[in-house]
Amino acid sequence: MYRSILSLIILAPLFTACGASIPPPTQRLADAQSAQRSARELGANSEPGAQLSLKLADEQIALAQKAMSDGDNKRADSLLVRAKADAELAVVQAREKGANAAVQTAIDNSATQKTMNIEQGAVK
Amino acid sequence: MKRIRSIFVLVASTSAASLIACSASLPPQDLTNARDTYDRASRGPAAQLDPADMHTAKVQLDLAEASFTKDGDTQNTRDQAYIAVRKTELAEAVARTKQANEDKDGVVSAMHADEKQAVAATAAELGRSKARVAVQGAALQDEKSRRQDAEKRAAQAAADLAKFATVTQSPRGMVITLSGSILFVTAKWDLLPTAQLKLNDVATALIKEDPLSKMVVEGYTDSQGGAAYNQELSMHRAQAVRDYLVTRGIAADRITAQGFGLTNPIGDNKSAEGRANNRRVQIVVQPTDTTLATTSSL
Repeated sequence: MYRSILSLIILAPLFTACGASIPPPTQRLADAQSAQRSARELGANSEPGAQLSLKLADEQIALAQKAMSDGDNKRADSLLVRAKADAELAVVQAREKGANAAVQTAIDNSATQKTMNIEQGAVK
Repeated sequence: MKRIRSIFVLVASTSAASLIACSASLPPQDLTNARDTYDRASRGPAAQLDPADMHTAKVQLDLAEASFTKDGDTQNTRDQAYIAVRKTELAEAVARTKQANEDKDGVVSAMHADEKQAVAATAAELGRSKARVAVQGAALQDEKSRRQDAEKRAAQAAADLAKFATVTQSPRGMVITLSGSILFVTAKWDLLPTAQLKLNDVATALIKEDPLSKMVVEGYTDSQGGAAYNQELSMHRAQAVRDYLVTRGIAADRITAQGFGLTNPIGDNKSAEGRANNRRVQIVVQPTDTTLATTSSL
């Protein structure tokens, strides 16, 4: 009994190191896909920087899914942590684009208002 | 001997190669990218604007470094370094977003300040306009009442004078004609006591006139006696009336005297009545621009 437990403790790291034995990274896949959806919904595809990050995430998620179906969970896991980081970056880049657009809108509004003020001043 | 040496070289070179492969292996491209990216970000605005994400990026870079130190250029090292690059870029993007939001807030609040200022300026201008209108209205009212006062004064003066003198309007202005017989004894220019009473009324009436108008006291005689004599007599009489009016409060610089002798008769010198009419003193009140309208309407 004692011997079998001891052998399990010694052998367990060896199994995980092999790669074939690790479970499918379904949670990592879900996380990466969630970030991917967020980026898409925030309009990442309409901004070049965000679009590139999202494309990387898309490709790596696709490769990870293929790796999972091929049984290479280790490679899938590696691809998915990268995909999640890319998708999260795409989310922030899409938000940045929105903030820049808001600045431009504010500047335009301000210019319009200034012109209006000047015109009203001239009428007055 | 030669063979032994070649074996030694072979062994030495293999062990050197294995040394490079193990501990002294070069960092993977992902890791150098991660280091460079983090270095760039830490010197940029992200350090101040997004310290939380910068910290996350640093922790991730440390994981990649630890993996490289421990295991060398493994897939895990590359993955951790790849993620570190993304985390760092994320911190930079968040910092830029924050900066953009601050810029936008700045523009918007400046715009609101401008708007407020414009509204305040408009309100102030409106206030000034109202004040100007009020002042103009008051000035108009003032001018109106001044005119009404002037009209009243002129009407009252004319009514007072009409009792003992003839008041006519001529192109020269209002002409008050006083008969010589009520003022002087024949051939004299001393005012009679009764004349002084009459002239008091004249002075009162004249004071009520426009205070800016100028007056000329004109003396006239009939044709009895020589022209030179009559000229002198008329001059003295006009002067006597003028001087008396000055003592009654007419400003000396407003009133002058002039003798016309037997010229400009208004009656026939052949009849006693005509001669009586010709012996006269006329006071001409020359209108100023503002009194012209009121006096001519009498």
